[in-house]
Amino acid sequence: MAEESSAAAAAGEGRMTMVVGVDESEHSYYALQWTLRHFFAGGGGQPQYRLAVVNAKPTAASAVGLAGPGAADVLPFVEADLKKSSMRVIDKAKELCAQVSDALFEVIEGDARNVLCEAVERHQAEMLVVGSHGYGAIKRAVLGSVSDYCSHHAHCTVMIVKKPKHKH
Amino acid sequence: MEGKSATASGEAGAVVAGMKVVVAVDASEESLNALTWALDSVIAPRSGAGVSVVVVHAQPGPDHFVYPVAAHGIAITYSPTSAIESMRKAQEEISRKVSATGAIVEGDAKEAICQAVEEMHADLLILGSRGLGKIKRAFLGSVSDYLVHHACCPVLVVKPTKAHDK
Repeated sequence: MAEESSAAAAAGEGRMTMVVGVDESEHSYYALQWTLRHFFAGGGGQPQYRLAVVNAKPTAASAVGLAGPGAADVLPFVEADLKKSSMRVIDKAKELCAQVSDALFEVIEGDARNVLCEAVERHQAEMLVVGSHGYGAIKRAVLGSVSDYCSHHAHCTVMIVKKPKHKH
Repeated sequence: MEGKSATASGEAGAVVAGMKVVVAVDASEESLNALTWALDSVIAPRSGAGVSVVVVHAQPGPDHFVYPVAAHGIAITYSPTSAIESMRKAQEEISRKVSATGAIVEGDAKEAICQAVEEMHADLLILGSRGLGKIKRAFLGSVSDYLVHHACCPVLVVKPTKAHDK
């Protein structure tokens, strides 16, 4: 049917997209592995979601913070370092996602919160998965929480995966 | 505030070595939408692999009435009709697709659900979200916020689908 084929072409086989946010922390790798285990482990069958792994690379200016006299000199080094660490993150993510044939990997510059919400918009994702650092209330207020922001502002379902805590 | 759980009607879910999913509902429309979404997207595609579903309805404490029933004084809780109604709707939704267990927990919704999730060793908790703005969230308190921070398992928050988004 003509409609079916055009719809399929537009949506990419009609599968829903899932965006997974990753950074260098153990928590986000755990989140990625958990997601793979539970949503992409189908042996032989095609997974129902298409996976997009997104890493947000902070801009060098935001990483340096207060601008002092030597700031301009430092920026290129900071930039190079950030690029390297993003590449490391994506490489590790690629390793973990080896079993998923058509996963997308992206590094986008900007603040993690906005990057993830925009990625959701762009891919028209059904689901966003993020890890959580497990900060307490105070750290959360001071440092800000990407998972908090995303769960309120993303236009899709958000899944927050935490490493299990061991209660005393 | 303690949360006790009483199993409502519903056949026992097939507890195979698969994923255990807990879906928390209240009487609101959004949570039933969340349940439907969860069934379609997460549970149904996997029904062969042994997913067990538990639907938990959290019921505010002061509303319940306790009647001593048997001679040795076992008290059962009488749930107000809204809880039973939403449980029944939820059961209907689910039983067309997959077999599930229902549970009603009492006490403060947030803590009760948190405790239930821990006791049941859930692999995933699914909730609806009322879409409260920042200020309402701070004053009214948000069950989904609390659970995201305190549940011992991954939490999936289903947003109300906006009509203008497609």
